[in-house]
Amino acid sequence: MRPGRRISDVRAVEVPSFASVAERHLDDVHSYLVYFTRDRGLAEDLTAETFERALRQWRRFDPQRGSARTWLCQLARTTALDHFRAEQRRRRREHTYALDRQPAEDGLFGVLSPALEKALGELSAGEREVVALRVLLDLDSETAANVLGISVTNCNTRLSRALKKLEERMSADVAA
Amino acid sequence: MSQPDHDSIVNEIRSAQITASPELRERVRGLAAAAPPAAPPRQRRELPWRRWTLVLVPAAIAVALAASLAIGLADSGKKKHLSASGGAGEAQRTEGPPSLPFTGPAQDSTAHAGTPFGAKAAGKAGSIPATQGRAQLYESELTLKVKDLSSATKRALLRTRDFHGYVRSVDYGSGSERGQAYMTLRVPVGSVQAAIVEFSALGEIIDQHVSIQDVQPTVDKRFRQMQAIRDSIAKTQAQLESPTLNAAQRTALENELVARRRQLVVLQKQQAALQRLTNYATVELALRTADKAVVVPHVPNRIERALDRAGSILLDEVKIVLYVLIVGAPLLALAALAFGGVRLRRRRDEARLLASA
Repeated sequence: MRPGRRISDVRAVEVPSFASVAERHLDDVHSYLVYFTRDRGLAEDLTAETFERALRQWRRFDPQRGSARTWLCQLARTTALDHFRAEQRRRRREHTYALDRQPAEDGLFGVLSPALEKALGELSAGEREVVALRVLLDLDSETAANVLGISVTNCNTRLSRALKKLEERMSADVAA
Repeated sequence: MSQPDHDSIVNEIRSAQITASPELRERVRGLAAAAPPAAPPRQRRELPWRRWTLVLVPAAIAVALAASLAIGLADSGKKKHLSASGGAGEAQRTEGPPSLPFTGPAQDSTAHAGTPFGAKAAGKAGSIPATQGRAQLYESELTLKVKDLSSATKRALLRTRDFHGYVRSVDYGSGSERGQAYMTLRVPVGSVQAAIVEFSALGEIIDQHVSIQDVQPTVDKRFRQMQAIRDSIAKTQAQLESPTLNAAQRTALENELVARRRQLVVLQKQQAALQRLTNYATVELALRTADKAVVVPHVPNRIERALDRAGSILLDEVKIVLYVLIVGAPLLALAALAFGGVRLRRRRDEARLLASA
């Protein structure tokens, strides 16, 4: 260590540039939002909005409190929830109480077997997002729970329940 | 087709990566490029609340301790001054009765000597003599701690007779060696100093009170009155010897003579009574056995006083903290309930939203 160098400088975590973070984690955020929204077009719009927010709030990112991917996933989730709330209000305003759930488009979740793709499309948004975080993005339980704003136990339970549903529905499809 | 299991599902999902479209990628790149260079994230030096608690609680305790010790030390100095003045008083008492200024007639003088640690004072009492040649009322109260009450009482009575005094009253507790005896003794004024020294030798002095009242002015005034009456009587007697007096005048002078003589007799009796009073000193002697140990009060030093004071201040601080907790706990509980309620409602709304999405 050079003489006169401050300890705080040594401890400082290297902060990547926004461009490099965006380039590195674009697919992660996008795939998470695809799973969450079950709509590729909407996911693209929300991904772009997420990165706009991230750029505005870049100064608030603290690498000591979590990785950039976790922070971006939290932003993406907030963005998606805001969208869902706005949609809910719009539907109420238009008196369309029943949600017209469209069947998932083919190849929405990548190259998956039709049975798994169908089963995934039948899961709720909450179940799909935990699958996306824990399985697709391979986040650990604690980080995923942090993104979802729930406890680790609750996160594990939700994942287990989602996987069981997938298994049951795929089994039912195979049997049929 | 085989039945799917968790692992196969997980592996399949992981292998099917979703990539962003080139349009989206260009859009995000454009965002990053078009935007002005964003300032780097701040290096926060925030401490989580657990660390804040770990820092603040010991700091608050340290401040409370330091404040109480500082106040205790500051206050202990003041108390030292107060106790020093009291201690001086104790020292005077221990050394025996103080010398009393007795400067002249018509001055009442009293002295009080308490000796809680009596051993040193034994034999030093009675050092206040009556002024020779002046009429004075001398009273002394002496409380002694004796080992053998019966023997001490007998010796006190014998000494009184030795000094040609007499016993006015005796109140003796019992025949055992434990108890109390109260005596009122009359001792000639000329011997009272020696008598008190003798009485003091019977035991340890616990308390002593000497009162001297000079009545010489009263004696002198009464003497002048008596002299004037004698002159008046002589003058009246001379007038009665005159042959020119009629019967009425003679009767009046004779009545006046009788009244003057009666007045003179009254004054002479009063003078004699006062004379008798001043001839003898009254000694109230109280003898006690050592059934109760004299507790020597512990005088704390400055460090002990500072610690005591610091302890009381800490106690006050604890009371304040408890008061704040008692008053603030319901408010905190309400705030926590409100916070929990809002959070729970938000979670339910979110869950409902995610279930329907």
